[in-house]
Amino acid sequence: MAWRKAIALDELKPNGVRSVEIDGKPVALYLLGGEVFATHGICTHALAFLADGFVDGDTIECPLHQGIFDIRSGKALCSPVTKDLETYAVKVADGEVFVDLDEGKKAATEDRAPVGPPREPPASRAVVIVGAGQAASAAIRSMRASGFTGTIDLVGREEHLPYERPPLSKDVLLGKASIESCRRLPEADVVSLDVRMHLGRSVTRIDPAARIALLSDGTALQYDALLLATGGVPRRLSIAGADLPGVHYLRTIEDANSIRRSLEKAKRLVIVGGGFIGLELASAVATLGVATVVLEREGELMARVLPAPLGHTFRSLAERHNVSVLREVEVQDIRLDGQHLVVTTSAGPFAADAVCIGVGLAVETELAAAAGCSVDGGIVVDAEQRTSVAGIWAAGDCALHHSPVRGRSRRLESWHNAELQGAAAGQSIAGVPRSEDIQAPWFWTDQFGLNIQILGVSSPGDKVALTGRDGERGAVYRTIDPETGRLTSVVAFSDPAAIRHARKELEGPGVFDIAKASAAWLTSDGKEENGQVVNEKSVATMTSQYVWPSEGLTRVPDWVYTDDYIYRREVEKIFHGRTWNYVALESEIPDVGDFIRSNVGPTPVVVSRAEDGSINVFENRCAHRAAEFCRELSGNAKEFVCPYHQWSYDLKGNLAGVPFRRGVDGKGGMPRDFKNADHGLRQLKVTTHRGVVFASYCNDMEPLAEYLGPEILREFEATFDGRKPKVLGHYRHSLPGNWKLYHENLKDPYHATLLHTFLVTFGLLVAGNKSSMIADASGRHGVMASAKSDVSKLDNSTKKEMRAYKEGMKLEEPRFMDFINEFDSPWSVTMTTIWPNLIVQREMNTLGVRQIVPTGPNEFIMKWTMFGFEGDDEEMTRHRLRQGNLMGPAGFLGLEDNEAIKFVQDGMLAVPDGEHVVELDPGVIGTADTLISEASIRAMYQHWRSAMEL
Amino acid sequence: MSATDPTYTAEIRQLLLRNAIEQFNCQYAAALDEQRLSDWSEMFTADASYVVLSRENEDRGHPVGLIYCENRGMIRDRAFALEKTAMFAPRYLRHLISNLQLLGEDEDGNIKARANYVVLQVLFDRPDATIHQVGTYHDVFRRSDEGLRLRQRRCVYDNLLVPNALCIPV
Repeated sequence: MAWRKAIALDELKPNGVRSVEIDGKPVALYLLGGEVFATHGICTHALAFLADGFVDGDTIECPLHQGIFDIRSGKALCSPVTKDLETYAVKVADGEVFVDLDEGKKAATEDRAPVGPPREPPASRAVVIVGAGQAASAAIRSMRASGFTGTIDLVGREEHLPYERPPLSKDVLLGKASIESCRRLPEADVVSLDVRMHLGRSVTRIDPAARIALLSDGTALQYDALLLATGGVPRRLSIAGADLPGVHYLRTIEDANSIRRSLEKAKRLVIVGGGFIGLELASAVATLGVATVVLEREGELMARVLPAPLGHTFRSLAERHNVSVLREVEVQDIRLDGQHLVVTTSAGPFAADAVCIGVGLAVETELAAAAGCSVDGGIVVDAEQRTSVAGIWAAGDCALHHSPVRGRSRRLESWHNAELQGAAAGQSIAGVPRSEDIQAPWFWTDQFGLNIQILGVSSPGDKVALTGRDGERGAVYRTIDPETGRLTSVVAFSDPAAIRHARKELEGPGVFDIAKASAAWLTSDGKEENGQVVNEKSVATMTSQYVWPSEGLTRVPDWVYTDDYIYRREVEKIFHGRTWNYVALESEIPDVGDFIRSNVGPTPVVVSRAEDGSINVFENRCAHRAAEFCRELSGNAKEFVCPYHQWSYDLKGNLAGVPFRRGVDGKGGMPRDFKNADHGLRQLKVTTHRGVVFASYCNDMEPLAEYLGPEILREFEATFDGRKPKVLGHYRHSLPGNWKLYHENLKDPYHATLLHTFLVTFGLLVAGNKSSMIADASGRHGVMASAKSDVSKLDNSTKKEMRAYKEGMKLEEPRFMDFINEFDSPWSVTMTTIWPNLIVQREMNTLGVRQIVPTGPNEFIMKWTMFGFEGDDEEMTRHRLRQGNLMGPAGFLGLEDNEAIKFVQDGMLAVPDGEHVVELDPGVIGTADTLISEASIRAMYQHWRSAMEL
Repeated sequence: MSATDPTYTAEIRQLLLRNAIEQFNCQYAAALDEQRLSDWSEMFTADASYVVLSRENEDRGHPVGLIYCENRGMIRDRAFALEKTAMFAPRYLRHLISNLQLLGEDEDGNIKARANYVVLQVLFDRPDATIHQVGTYHDVFRRSDEGLRLRQRRCVYDNLLVPNALCIPV
């Protein structure tokens, strides 16, 4: 027994957690119901201190990933934690808490029953699924994922393992895809998910009382739960000749293959039915040079599901691709006439080499009805896909949607619905209650090179509002219930971002406002009601393209970071706008004629010191032919001469000489009224403060102090404290990310301990460190600040703070992390972001300014100027250099930030049109009193939007 | 010229030394290419300095280095931190070292040498190897019981820009 004194009892708060260190080991202490408990102080999942976590009853929740442990037993209670915490024996004597690290959990937990929610075994042990399509495979996956361990028997009439059907009318039809690419439950999954297959068989009868399903091969399968995922078969035309060879229906892979074979020779195709299947067929065939006629019974395409203006749009799209669409046509019979087929209709006969019929799906509900399930045009189900008969579930095309759409129960024949319903049924069968389904029905169709997505469910009587050009890429249609004025669905032509936004629009409570949406009503003949054609490039369309998400500042859309137009606007409105841009330290150009190359935004400038001692900033672009004349990074010059035609400029950027200005022999030369004064280099406004040089394209900029505001100025002056900065060198690196992400990185104290485990591992940033995230009143500037604990007692405690939280984790040379307090500031670390292009870094004693040079929306260059002060002795300089190992593109912290920012940009470029979630610390915009906050990022975007007028 | 000729012996010595340094550099490159950073850190003497800095800084007499290690303890810390705590995308690296120049050996046993190096990098989201860094090693070697060890390696790189981040030493 080795009892170690840990803490005074009165330092523990009831239902609280405290961190202590015993023999170098972090220990978390808890006071529950008057009794003290001790566990290891670090989560078994990832490096996080449980003392930063949350005590809830008898459990501790890790702050990092919300893993939960039982405090008394250390038991890991939920994912992601799988390994139990060590627990230690505790005793209390004379008001002191003692812990024995050697006496493990047995002392603490011997007589206690294991804690944790008892898990009821799932009710079902044997499951039979009837129908081997997409809903079935979704159900199987979700059952197994929900922990179901019983048997699964899958009965399917087709000989194939489950596959998805959307490609059948697209790539499969054209021979570009095979069944392998459509599989939803490949062989390997059949094995790993342990599914017994009964392919090529059907269920002939269900005995719901005995819970037995009888198969066509005579097998009787006993079940606890039975899922009907029977789908349906194509509705047949009840006319003569509907089953002739060459007359096709499309539901299975064999159907698709047979259509493909007959199209190989066909020159004329008749499609009966202008629904989605018919139009997709027409679209696929359009690429083959086959003359296609679509015959539709109703007055407009898809008249039973879509408002007429949208039907018109789909029809026009097909017609533009040389598909003949005839409406109000009744098909009377089909007959064989020699080598070809003739379709006789109310509009006359049509000769064809092949006929495809797509007039809807006849759902298979007989089995359900015979088993006693309620059927009403589809199998009636509840939100968990249970039918009216105990032990029987239904999902997919054959089932109704559980919530009526505008008072009417309907089926949704779509990939998405099969997937959702299948998964819900699987969950329910496995005994897991379904989470409330708030997903709007979603559907897509590929037609004539456009990917058309539909979110929500419209009714034929809905009004239609259009943005963009009717029937073209980027067109977005909103259907509105004329009675309530509410949005019912959104149809987007090759515009997935519009669908993403539509999710919120559809959830929104308000009445659709056509003016706000910059849309126009569409009539059933495809005209806009006011007779105007919406110009694609109109301002309305432009701003609707850059619509900020309706949630406000808690979302930042990707286009802010990736869009070229936005970037160009930023250069104009921000870098060349009303801002002070960092360009140099004065000590880089101490003498007359000294210059450096720099940038304002992406624009190259020269910073030079003129004869009168003034600092001048002008564009590095010859006024004559634009040549970037200054090529050296730095130097000393008497004047600047463009090498191309020898135009020369003085140290302030004024044009001094133009060769042959008056021509030669009275010929050529500049016009007589040419004045040098009118052709100088573009000169910028300049200001300096404490040795730091800023420039602006704006002629009436407010003074820098006013621009920064008092909070930011205070931190700026704490670093530039009057001593003369001395340049120690530069880092320059590219960073394949948007420049604003760098600001955000330093307005995001949340990432500091999560990304930079170095800081945590070596105790540099520990809970309890004083810290702050400050924003100025405008929201554009910020200071991330923290103080090492015990700054006053630093000399003695530095080593102690370098605690190794994992065995073997220690630095051989920890002195590079020492902080020598040379500043009049409560903070040991400040990262000051000065809009738009400067970061002032004071990471203990390693000091630097970082200049952002954007080169496009997706990349920027960062130039770091590391400095010390005049008067630093050699050891101090070396200390700064050693500490510099933390920063820069190879720094322990710096390289991680660069990588993380690249990952963010990669994510947006690889999966575009999304948005970022910036919700931490809700309701706050600006300065935050917690590090778990994104309030400063929101403040920055408040400013950005106003500067960008977006 | 015979084997006892002092000039001949000196030349043989030179050749052997040159061979030993080339062998050393191959092992050094292999340790980094295979990202065996603790092996790499043991190729230095206890009092070694290891600095990676830009030619821009070198030319201007600016001391700031991307990596700045004053002794093997700091080199080991670098290796340890990169292996245990640093987050960066996985990558393949290829260090190529050539144009070795022997600059002489002083009476204290410091062998001065120079070599050029190129670091090629492959990231898994981009198809090609890119030139990540190109520069010159300014070296001081010392002999030890285990063979040559670096007393100093000063890596001066020509690139103006570091492409995003230098995650593995050069």
